[in-house]
This record gives sequence, structure tokens and C-alpha cells, in this order.
Amino acid sequence: MSRPFPYTYISCPCADTPVLDPARKRRSRESPQKPPPERDTEANEGQDDAKQPANKDDEEDEEDEEQTFDPRSPRSNFSLYPPEQLLYCEDCHQIKCPRCITEEIVSWYCPNCLFETPSSMVRSDGGRCGRNCFNCPVCTAPLAVSTIENVTGNGNGQGPWVLSCGYCLWTTLDIGIKFDKPTNIRSQLQKMTDSTTGPAFDARSRQGSRAFGDLKSPLSNFASVDEQANPSERDAEQSTSKEDQTPTPHLGAEARFAALKNFYRTQISETSNSPSDSLGSEFGFSSPGALNRLMSLYASSSRLSGLYGGTKKPKSKPPVMREALTATEGLRIASGDADSALVERIASPDCGWDGVASLIQRTEQSPDVRFVDELLPLPVLLRTKRAKRCKSCKHILVKPETKPQSTRFRIRLIALSYIPLPTLRPLAQPSATSVSGLAPTPDLNALTPLRPYHVLLTLKNHMFDPVRITLATPSVTPGIVATKVTVLCPQFEIGANSDVWDEALQNATAPLSDRITGMRGGEKVPEAGKVWEKGRNWTTVVLEVVPGTLPGSQAEDGQEGDSDIAATFQKDEDVLEIPVFVHMEWDAEAQLEQQNVGKASKPDDLVARELAYWMVLGVGRIQASL
Amino acid sequence: MSTPSNLRHTQTARPTSPHTPQQPSRSGNTSFASTTSPGSTFRNEDDAIIFELGARWLRAGFEGNGTPFCVVGFGPEESRRVGDYRGWIQGAAGNGPLPKPVNAEDWVRDYELWQPDLRKVDLGLLEDKIERLFRETYNQYLLTDAGSSRLVLTLPSLMPHPLLSSLLSTLFSRWRFPSITLLPSATMSATAAGLRSALVVDIGWAETTATGLYEYREITTKRSTRAMKSTQQELGRLLSRLASGEDHETEAKDDGISVGFAYCEEIITRFAWCKPRANDGEQRELELPAHTVLIPSPTNPAQDFVDVPFSRLAEPVETVLLATGTPESELDDEEKSIPQLVYNTLLALPPDARGTCMSRIVFVGGGARIPGLRQRILQEVSSLIERYGWSSIRGKAVERQRQRMEDLRISSQTNGQKPKPTSENGETPAKDEKTDPSQEVPEIDFVEQKLHRQNKDIPVPIQGVLREVESLGAWAGASLVTSLKLRGMVEIEREKFLQHGLAGATRDSEPSVPDRRSGLRAGDRSSWTLAGWA
Repeated sequence: MSRPFPYTYISCPCADTPVLDPARKRRSRESPQKPPPERDTEANEGQDDAKQPANKDDEEDEEDEEQTFDPRSPRSNFSLYPPEQLLYCEDCHQIKCPRCITEEIVSWYCPNCLFETPSSMVRSDGGRCGRNCFNCPVCTAPLAVSTIENVTGNGNGQGPWVLSCGYCLWTTLDIGIKFDKPTNIRSQLQKMTDSTTGPAFDARSRQGSRAFGDLKSPLSNFASVDEQANPSERDAEQSTSKEDQTPTPHLGAEARFAALKNFYRTQISETSNSPSDSLGSEFGFSSPGALNRLMSLYASSSRLSGLYGGTKKPKSKPPVMREALTATEGLRIASGDADSALVERIASPDCGWDGVASLIQRTEQSPDVRFVDELLPLPVLLRTKRAKRCKSCKHILVKPETKPQSTRFRIRLIALSYIPLPTLRPLAQPSATSVSGLAPTPDLNALTPLRPYHVLLTLKNHMFDPVRITLATPSVTPGIVATKVTVLCPQFEIGANSDVWDEALQNATAPLSDRITGMRGGEKVPEAGKVWEKGRNWTTVVLEVVPGTLPGSQAEDGQEGDSDIAATFQKDEDVLEIPVFVHMEWDAEAQLEQQNVGKASKPDDLVARELAYWMVLGVGRIQASL
Repeated sequence: MSTPSNLRHTQTARPTSPHTPQQPSRSGNTSFASTTSPGSTFRNEDDAIIFELGARWLRAGFEGNGTPFCVVGFGPEESRRVGDYRGWIQGAAGNGPLPKPVNAEDWVRDYELWQPDLRKVDLGLLEDKIERLFRETYNQYLLTDAGSSRLVLTLPSLMPHPLLSSLLSTLFSRWRFPSITLLPSATMSATAAGLRSALVVDIGWAETTATGLYEYREITTKRSTRAMKSTQQELGRLLSRLASGEDHETEAKDDGISVGFAYCEEIITRFAWCKPRANDGEQRELELPAHTVLIPSPTNPAQDFVDVPFSRLAEPVETVLLATGTPESELDDEEKSIPQLVYNTLLALPPDARGTCMSRIVFVGGGARIPGLRQRILQEVSSLIERYGWSSIRGKAVERQRQRMEDLRISSQTNGQKPKPTSENGETPAKDEKTDPSQEVPEIDFVEQKLHRQNKDIPVPIQGVLREVESLGAWAGASLVTSLKLRGMVEIEREKFLQHGLAGATRDSEPSVPDRRSGLRAGDRSSWTLAGWA
């Protein structure tokens, strides 16, 4: 369904070991860990499990062993992976999917300019490229730096620079931004957005760092001069500012955050700095903080008496933390006018559908953005190169080279070098052979129900040891559409991935007859218990598939419109997917640490290995009508 | 450019910082730089990562930032198989019309991470989703190694235990988080508004909650199912009716929704709005229906546009969130309209707290972004207050009684009492005075006066007036609190959770309150609690 038919998926065995919830283990599991096999029973299951006695749980556990993998269950979407995306841990001898590995970042780079970003800069840049790489806020295409003349289309020149989108023709001119020089656009942009978002304060950055510094410095001067006089001073300030509070300066989200943070910090330091706080006993004088505080204590009290003319405030009561009172402290009183203005603007004909930013555009922007002309160019998100380790044994599975330009890996243990690569191919329909010499292959996007199809499953071994394979599949596929599946030859062997010359030499001598039958193709008839075709390191077997009928088509010929079935009939229910259980056995050469053990039992340094997993074969889509 | 200026600020800031007692309480691994410059230049590696998790959206970022790094939504695209690129090939699902009408509940199911009704939630699937969601957020946006630093989760304070347990055990067993701190989102929203007491109205996805906070403590919480989910379903029905060409007069029976979810969500984010209260906005109402707006056609959103009267786009908000057209007596307790919910929550608060909270109403959540809605709710609430005062008694008999009292009072007033005191608090206490003797002209209290004289410097907090304060949102609040190195009440350590799970928490929901300095004894927290989540 996801890829063109036919396709194969492999289910990582980690799906069988559910997340261990310690609490659930203690209380003998209150909820089912496994999804119920059928969708219909889900609702019942949930109600049942409240009153489910413990023995039912045990039963379920036993069933788990037997349960066949259901590719239709919503959970299977999270455990199925294309074979080429899986890794293999040589120590655990197990397939590893992205869920059972841990990742470590090796390097950060911008996918646009391929420059590596040092780790210290990643977070300060917000995880985005700090250079000239921007994406269009409207359509996410990369933006190019060009001169205004280039955009408007007359002549070339030095002129001011803009970012322009080659796809949707958006330019920064649309939001009224021009750049003085074509380099270091990010910092230029930052400066501009600072000044545009906050006219009330001279400097306020989107990142908040500079804004905080500027906001803090006057306050911190107060605080360092005199702790106690400070609140009263600021109160005076507040009372004056309270009058003109109505035209609240519109702070950007970052600036408001910085203001709030600054406010809380001063509040905390003020309220906990009173001498009644018996903090002194809790940390020794060795800490400079304590010493400083003591010093300031004496200093402040002497200065206090000077200021207030001896009327010493009783300091027994520690000052209480208060809430933010002014806009400079981060308070913002909502005004109804803003909202009604918004409504008017949205409704006005010159705004319209395209004037309001879409959901996707908004999620990337600062939370206040609502209209398209408030969108800012987006610096490109950085990407990472990550080393991957096995979650259980911590062995490195993948280690890429650090350089962004390099696509090579130092270590890469992909699963396909350990498990056979499954490929699927439909066999030409024998019935059609009479028409022409070459049999047409069936259209996999429209499989006729109740008609037998033969599918060739080829397993290709990449290991240097021959592998014995056992395939198993439920005779009827799970789900609403019951398709009958038979593996004609469930047990077979695949040869080792030996030298390519071996095959050439072998083919020259022995299996000439095989090749001839292979050439004749269509005349060959699939037989139960026999391998279809076999090569140096691959083996092909035949699966017989009889697609079931879709419930919709039944309703057509039978009783009229069963709405219940139609409702449960999901989008991908007509996709024929066959779960196949693969069990592989091979004799591997014992590794170093296992050699001693191996020697005792087997003298020839061979260790029997086995691996078992579920695989899903996507055969095709079943036609609705018969 | 920015580095020298930062250095300068560090120097100017330094004299103050030794005053803060937080310095010793900071965990040892935080560098000095990170405390003086919250700007990101010298950020320490061990900054906590903050996630705000809801049923539809996730916000993630680092502590000390004002806005999250990313906002990630959930949808069917997020639960596709690896290597399934249909979302890219065919365009995201949910834009076009659906082949056949879907039940409104099924319509939203794929798009929400969890539902409040856990009977229908497959926890295993939820764990899978959470795992993938966190992994991809770390890999795509946060760009840091998952599990290396502390994790702070901002969650609604009422969270079903199975959900919480699934969430925590997934996170702990998948990655090596040393500890996970839970912060209540209502309190965080108030913090991000700079308040200590507030009424936080969270118009969320599945439900709207109104939480009365007093001095950072949740006092009462009331909830209603009238929230964005039902609004969107209502809009979906409206658009389905538009698509099928039926007139809106036809009775809206639950005939399913035939438009795409994403399409509907797009319209709700762009064009949903709320009319002002009818009696004072009548002339405006007359002119607004004339407006029509072009929206993508529900039958073919990619190409066609249709004209829709702008006023109709306010209908879902009106009927769902404000329950216009439904008499209050019809409403069940769990589906009160939002103004009613706000009023009831205020009513449930003790008078002191009520006075404080009603002038600190904070709206958060997706619904708070609908233009006009917050103002409308406040108008409705004030009209409720005008009508009933602060009394929960309703009914005809009471009304008659009140009328009689009114008459009595008027006659007694004419007898020479002083006229109604008009306080600067506006219309709110005007009615209260009749019912509430404590609000009558206060007699002169010497202690009060003395206190007042003493606290002259301390500004009198505004109270008793309906007032809305804007918040930066729960995520920003959590970021703020975390960056101030305050310790959360609920800090779950890895080893302890892995031993017993949620059952290991002490049942004591109100443990010895760790004051700010208890950070010093960071190591000896032998027992942990779920506090509000227990």
C-alpha cells in the first residue's frame, strides 16, 4: 500500500517485548499490552479488562505465543520496516529497528549549505542554520539571496538585497525587509525583527538574549545599590506607569518572556534576601554567595537608616513575592479592541483566505503570527549525523563519518547482510498462456477475488554460511478480507554467499537442465513441496494466494447495503498483505569469546544460530467486483 | 557582535547574582554562565528539555527559551509505516472530501494522541505513538541526544493514571532520562502571565477546563466537554451540509461528516471567529452578514472556492462553545457552556480567592486563539454576574423572593439611608452588596488602617473586576520555572520509577512542601509523590 506492489516489510522482533510498565507488572496487568487481534473486539476488550480476572490474563499470555502477526493492526505500523532500514546487532544476534537502538549525534550540519555547525552553536542558533540559508515561510522552498533589481527584473547592481523564493515568488520585500549586504543574513534579520517587534524598547531580540540584558541592566543597578529601597522606587515607577498602562507596548513573545524571567528573578532574590531567612546556617561561609550576602546585609541596613532617616523598617516580616504589575515586568492585559480589529481584518476582502497564515505556516512561526504578512523567513533546520548503538548491549551499529559531505560510514551493520532479502514477484498466469507465448503478469493493483494467483518469493542470502529457512503463514489472512495463502514449499535451504565465480563454475557443469526449465518459464508448473528455483545464494518458492472477497462487493449482490460493514471497512482493507513467519537456522563460526564454549560441544568451531521474525508481503490490491 | 555585548552584560549582572539564594541550590552541573545569561550563547549542555503534551499537539524546547523549538501535531501521517510515502505522493490525507460520511467520533480519532475515554484507547498503540513522536522530535528539532538531560513534562493536572503510566514508562524504558519532572499546565500558564493567582481557562481539544489558582495552588477545577473537538465536529457538519448543497435550515441530525479533517482544521484556524455579545453589538451584526468570504470548496478544496457568509463561520463557536440556543437547564453538568463554566468555577472559589481570580482570567489552549471569543466569554460572564450575583440558587421562587427583598430594600433606602455606594469596581459588586453583607461599607478597622499605612508601598492588587491577562502559555511557563531552577513537586527519578512504577509514589497528595531552599537536599528525596496527579 505504501510502496508500489509487490513489497515486503519486516517486523522488528522488539514489538513482541512490550514496554515494561513496572506498575502494571505489580498489579498483574490491568490493561492488555497486546492489541486485540481483531478490530471489532477492541471495544469489548477494553471494557472486559476492568473485570478481567487474573487467570484471563494468563490465558492471554499463552495466546500471545501463538498469536499470528496482524499487519492490519494499527500497532503494526510502528514495528514494520522496509528490510533495508533495519540494522543487526552482532552481539545480540538480533534485528534492530529504530526503536531498539539509541542514537548519538556525531555532527550537525545545514542540509542547504552543507556547513557543519559546532555543537556549541547549535542551540544558540535555535537548531537552525546561522548563515544565509532560509526557507520560504509560505511554501517552504529554499530562498535565494538576490538584489532587488534582480527580483523586479531591471538591470543589476549592488543595491539592497532581499531573500526571494523561486517557487512562489515571495520575497522579503513583501514584509518590508531589505538587507544591506548579502552575507550574514541571519543576524541582519534578527536585528531588524528586534526593532520592528518592539518599538517601546530600543533593543529586543527574538532570541531574548540581548533583550534580557538590556532590560536587566537598569534593574540590576538598582538591586545592587540598595535592596530595600528598590521596591519602593519601583512602586513609584509603577504608579506612574499605571496611568499610561492602557497603551501597553506590544512585546513579542520572546521579549515578554525575558521580561517575565527578569521579574521573577528579582522577585526571588528580593524576597529571600531578608535577614530573617535563616539561610546562613544552611551553607557555610566558604561560599562567596553567603559572604556577599552578609556584606550586603550590613551595607544595606546602614544605607537604609540613612535613607529613611532612622525609621528602620521592622524586618521581621519577609517581603512577599508579588505578581507582575507592569508591562515591563511581562504583564499583558488583553484588550477587546485587538480582537475585534482582528475579526474585521480577517473578514475584509483584501485579506481573504490567502491573507491568513495556514496552520502549517503558523506552526513554524512565533505563536503570535496570524497573517501571511507577519511571516518571517525560516532559517533552515539543521540535520544531524548520528551514530547508533544497540539499546541492550550498547555496541555501535552505525557510525557515520563526521564530515557532512561524506556519505561513508565507519561502521554499518545493516540487517540485510544477515537476514535474507525477501523479494516478491507475481508469476505469470497460466491461463493466459494460450493467447500468446509470453504470459501476462497479473495486475497487482486489481486482483480478482476468489481466483488463485501464484506469487514467487525469493530469499537472497548475504551471509557466508548456508541458511535453512522455514516459512509459516496463517492459512487465512487476518482482517475482514479472508485470503487463503499456501506456501508450497515451506522448508528450504539457501546457499552461502560465496564467491561469484563459484556460481559461474557450478552453472557451467551441473544445473543445465534447471536453467533450461527456467528459460521456458511459463510451462513450469508450481508443485507442492518443491523449490521453484534455486541459485548460488538465493532460493525461490511459490505462494498460492486466493484473494478473498471484499465485504462491499458482497453487499452488492446479496442483501442491500450493510452499513455496519461499510463503516468498519477501512481505507486499506482491500490491500492483500500476507504475514509470513520466517525462521532461519545456520551454523556460524564461533566468535572469540564463544570459542571455548563452542569447542566443548562442537569441535569444528561452529555454533548453531537461529533467528525468527515476522515478515509482511504486500501482494496487491483486491478488486471490489468479482 | 553579540558575544562582546553578552560579556558586558555578564559583568553588570554579576553583582546581583550572589544575592540570590538560588545559587547554592542550583544543581552542581549548571555553570555560572547559564545563570547570568539566559540568552543562549553560553547554554549548558544539561539544560532541561521541556515538553508540553496535549491530545493534539506537542511543544518541545529547551528551558530558558521563550518559545518552543517546535510544535508538532498528530495525525494519520504520523502513524504511517516507515517508508510509506503516500502522504507526500498524494498530498496529506484529510484535505479532500471523504468518500462517504464518517461518524464525528471516528473522524477525529486518527488525529488525537489519546482520548479522555480510555476504554477505547489501545495503550500499546499509544506507547508506540509516543515513542515515535519523541524520537522524531529529538532527531528533527531538538537535535540533541535523547535521554541525556532532564525532562520536564507539562501536563494537565487531571491525567488518567493509565495514560500517565504509559507515558512515563515509555519514556523511562526507551531512553535513559535521569528524571522526569511533571508540571501542572494550569499553574504554568499563570506563571507565564506573571501571576500568582489566576483563573486559567484552557479551551483545549477534548475539554475546556477552568482552574482556580490561588498563590500557585489549584483550588478548584471544573471542566466541560464544550471544547475545540466538538467545535471542529460542528464545523465539519456545517461544511458537509454546504458540500451537499443542503440548506442550513435542515435539522442537523448526526449524519456524519464528509469533509476532510485537515481541511476543516484549516478553516477553523483561519476563519473561525466569535461575535460580540448580541445586545451591545447589534449594529455591527447587521453589517457583518453582508460579508462573504471565499473559502476552498468543501467538495474540491484544491481548485474551487466558494462564497460563504462570514457570519456562518462564527456559528460553530456560537453553538458549541457558548451553547447559544440551548437553555441552561438543558445542559448536563459536564457540558456547561464556557461562560457558565467560568462563572461556576469562580463561584466555587472562596470570596477572597474569587475576587483575586476574577481579575486575573487567563485564556490558553487552541480555542483561546479564536478572535473575539475571549472577549465574548468575559461579557457573558459579567452578564451572569449581573443577573445572579454570586449565588448558586436559581429558580422562580428564588426570583420572587429576591424581587421582594429588592422592594424592601428600595423602600428602606428611601427612608434616608445613603444612596448605593458606587465603587470604582464597576458593575460587579453592585449586586453583591445586597446578598453579601461582607461587601457593604466597611466599618473603620484600626488594624486594617495600620496595616494599610504600613504597606503603603505595596501596590494594592486589582481585584473584583473582570479582567483578562494574557499568558505566554504553559510551555513558556514551564520553561520559565525550570530556568529559575525551581524544583517541581513531582520529580520522578528513573530508578524509583522503574522499581515500582506509579504505584511507588507516596499516596500523600500534600507532602511536606519543599520550599525553595530544599533544593539543597536534593539527594535525600527518599520518597516521591505525584502530588496533584495522584
